[in-house]
Amino acid sequence: MRNLLAPWQPSAQDPFDLRRCGHLLRRAGFGASLAVRRRLARAGLDAALQHVMPAASAAAPADALLDEVIAFGERARVRAFRVWVALQCVQPLRARMAVFWHDHFATSDAKVQDPRAMALQLATFDRLGLGRFDDLLLAMCRDPALLRWLDNDVNTRRQPNENFARELLELFALGRGAYTETDVREAARAFTGWHVRDGAFRFAAHLHDAGVKRVLGVEGPLGGEQVVAACVARDDSARFLATRWLQHFVHPEPEPAEIDALAACYREHDRDVGRTLAVLLRSRLFFSPRAYRSRIKSPADFVLGTVRALGGRAVPSDLARTMATLGEAWLEPPSVEGWRGERAWLSPGAWLLRCNFVADLVAGRSARLRPAASVWFADDDGPAQRAGTALALLLDGDASPAAVAAIEAVAAAHGDDAPGTAALLHAVACLPEYQLL
Amino acid sequence: VNTNPSRDPEQGVHRPDRREFLAAAAAAPWLHLARGRGRWLPHGDDRVLVVLELQGGNDGLNTVIPVGDARYAALRPRLAAVRNGAHALPDGTALHASLGHLHAWLRRNEGVVVHGVGYPAPDRSHFRSRDIWHTADPQHQRVQAGTTGWLGRAADLLAAAGAFVPAAALGGLELPLVLRAREVTVPSVLRPEDFQWLAADHAGPLAAGDPTRAVLAAAAEPGLHAFAAEVARTGARLAGELATALARYRPGIDYPDTGTGKALQLAARLAVSGFGTRLLHFGQSGYDTHAVQVPTHAALLRELDAALDAFRRDLAAHGALDRVVVLVHSEFGRRVAENASHGTDHGAAGPVFVLGTGLAGSVRGAVPDLQRLDDGDLVATTDFRAVYADLLRWLGVDARAVLGGEFAGAGLWPG
Repeated sequence: MRNLLAPWQPSAQDPFDLRRCGHLLRRAGFGASLAVRRRLARAGLDAALQHVMPAASAAAPADALLDEVIAFGERARVRAFRVWVALQCVQPLRARMAVFWHDHFATSDAKVQDPRAMALQLATFDRLGLGRFDDLLLAMCRDPALLRWLDNDVNTRRQPNENFARELLELFALGRGAYTETDVREAARAFTGWHVRDGAFRFAAHLHDAGVKRVLGVEGPLGGEQVVAACVARDDSARFLATRWLQHFVHPEPEPAEIDALAACYREHDRDVGRTLAVLLRSRLFFSPRAYRSRIKSPADFVLGTVRALGGRAVPSDLARTMATLGEAWLEPPSVEGWRGERAWLSPGAWLLRCNFVADLVAGRSARLRPAASVWFADDDGPAQRAGTALALLLDGDASPAAVAAIEAVAAAHGDDAPGTAALLHAVACLPEYQLL
Repeated sequence: VNTNPSRDPEQGVHRPDRREFLAAAAAAPWLHLARGRGRWLPHGDDRVLVVLELQGGNDGLNTVIPVGDARYAALRPRLAAVRNGAHALPDGTALHASLGHLHAWLRRNEGVVVHGVGYPAPDRSHFRSRDIWHTADPQHQRVQAGTTGWLGRAADLLAAAGAFVPAAALGGLELPLVLRAREVTVPSVLRPEDFQWLAADHAGPLAAGDPTRAVLAAAAEPGLHAFAAEVARTGARLAGELATALARYRPGIDYPDTGTGKALQLAARLAVSGFGTRLLHFGQSGYDTHAVQVPTHAALLRELDAALDAFRRDLAAHGALDRVVVLVHSEFGRRVAENASHGTDHGAAGPVFVLGTGLAGSVRGAVPDLQRLDDGDLVATTDFRAVYADLLRWLGVDARAVLGGEFAGAGLWPG
């Protein structure tokens, strides 16, 4: 069973090639340009893993810019800033996990109405997203945006409000079925007085219920810290998080043996998220056929991934708007459950909008690419080579013979000028396989 | 719970496999009606169901208010203020003051309240409770690739009968679980004008013979690739056709400029355009009123009531009022006692509304009994699948095949 997480050993028959490299960079980040993918495929698995998980640096990616974004305090600007962070992808896994945690601790500014608080919450994911889960969870329990989102700023000794405690147990730490209604009520008491004042966390001792509570079998005059400690110590919590990570990095429907293995790995690594994911991302399981192209691209995967695959520069606020139209408006998840994801992303109308986004992008109509995509085709001679370049750019050269034939027909029908190149890339992006992550 | 599923509830809901499902579809007597001219359904089979979901858990007790019950006022010292201006109903309850239009329809038998709708062993999680309503399966645990919703299964039956786009989600691009089907690909429509497939080399749609169209011709591998291919093919077919059909709609009514108003106008466009879409779903969010509930709840219900008023006037102007029914429901009601934040926490059973014509009376089911609570929550007196069963029968869709069991119905229509 533990073999699932054993390191994958590339071999001559089963090499770390462009296809494997593309898989790693898409899943652990938001993809990369063909130049980077080719270089890392040549450099090998270790170099590619180092690329997605660079040695820990103390500074979050864009602290200086964050100050400016916060000074403006507009939702659209914070959202564009987050798109910029993901688009730059300086530390791919860190950027990826910030988006993962935003979905996990899904907080909406539609209710919070404080883009500064939202920006700070997302910066906390940058900072703590790959550290110990204990620290992240406790930070979230003191996060002003989250406390306001789940009404904990009105949770008091005399008037307990269980919204926050319920979602903490159900969606953040344990998962449904791992606690009772009594646990919810008692945990709510433990978080009384965990409030927000002047935009910062404040423990209001006079509003806190200091009485004895019993949560998950732990009894005493519990505060929020003890509830967090009780949660993270549970096996249910490890399995819950392992399931979420497997769904995100491997396959939408993890097997029990996979969950057991990753939960054990997480416990053995002192509940450290980064160290756990480092094992997962180099495992046989991660590189298995079961994982490959087994998820539907989210709007972020599709929009940011396409821009990055073509090695272009685009305006973050334009991309943020497209993502929002496609159903993924960062800072405004549909509910505390986050985005439904997977197949729900891809409806016929969403597919059309995705295709149309790429048509506009490669033709330079709305969001535009700098440099233009045509530079990749400069050395090509004839439709077959041009089709090959287009397929390498967007699909790591991995498509069925029928799909290759269709793309070659598109290449043959168009010239090698810029409009012809645009038509060719657009056709590849319309392929069903391009919707898969 | 006043229903009698044909199977032992301990056994869980019966899920027909594909063969059984198609056999049921083939045996359905209404099938031949829809063969007609390809995707255009002949007149007589153009009934449309709009499901409007109040997301977050609507406070049923402050929507249909037991104004005369002293326990109500005792358990809700502050929230009971909503009794002021409420519209009286014949059974002694009253509709929230924001629901003036709804009240008028109830008096004309164009609307009905069903009290106390829910399911056994209620779950106070928004998400599980929502998924139970969506799947029509009280034993539902978690969503998997093959999980379907009750409207999705109805859409499969309609598609087997020849409908091209039997169902659609309104107001967003994500497909809600309720519309997930086994066979047919259900679109989500945010802006119908987006339904076109643009070419990269000029600003217009792809030409009919453009070689790019051939990228959808390649055979797909089973599984996720086949799913994406089917979605893409449906998208390619819908591109243009939807806009053409919707162009037949002539707007005559001003809708409120709200999310619910926009979605219901789109529902009216689809219902009167003859496109053949018969199942529509929209979610109005914001009902999770844990704190300072009174003003928030009043505004939400006002938005709902105003949008429904425009919708029904629009349908009437198009002569379509008799063939459109609206179901309004929520994933759960809220706790009977108010909380200390001037709000309410997650509860259990709640009322649903059905709007249509020829309904049997304005109120169905027992008025909630505040003396007999289950852990502070109302006890369900009508199974939600009984309401679904009536709606499916009204649509002419095999309710047994969709719900996986026989349900007596909630008596929404006479006879």
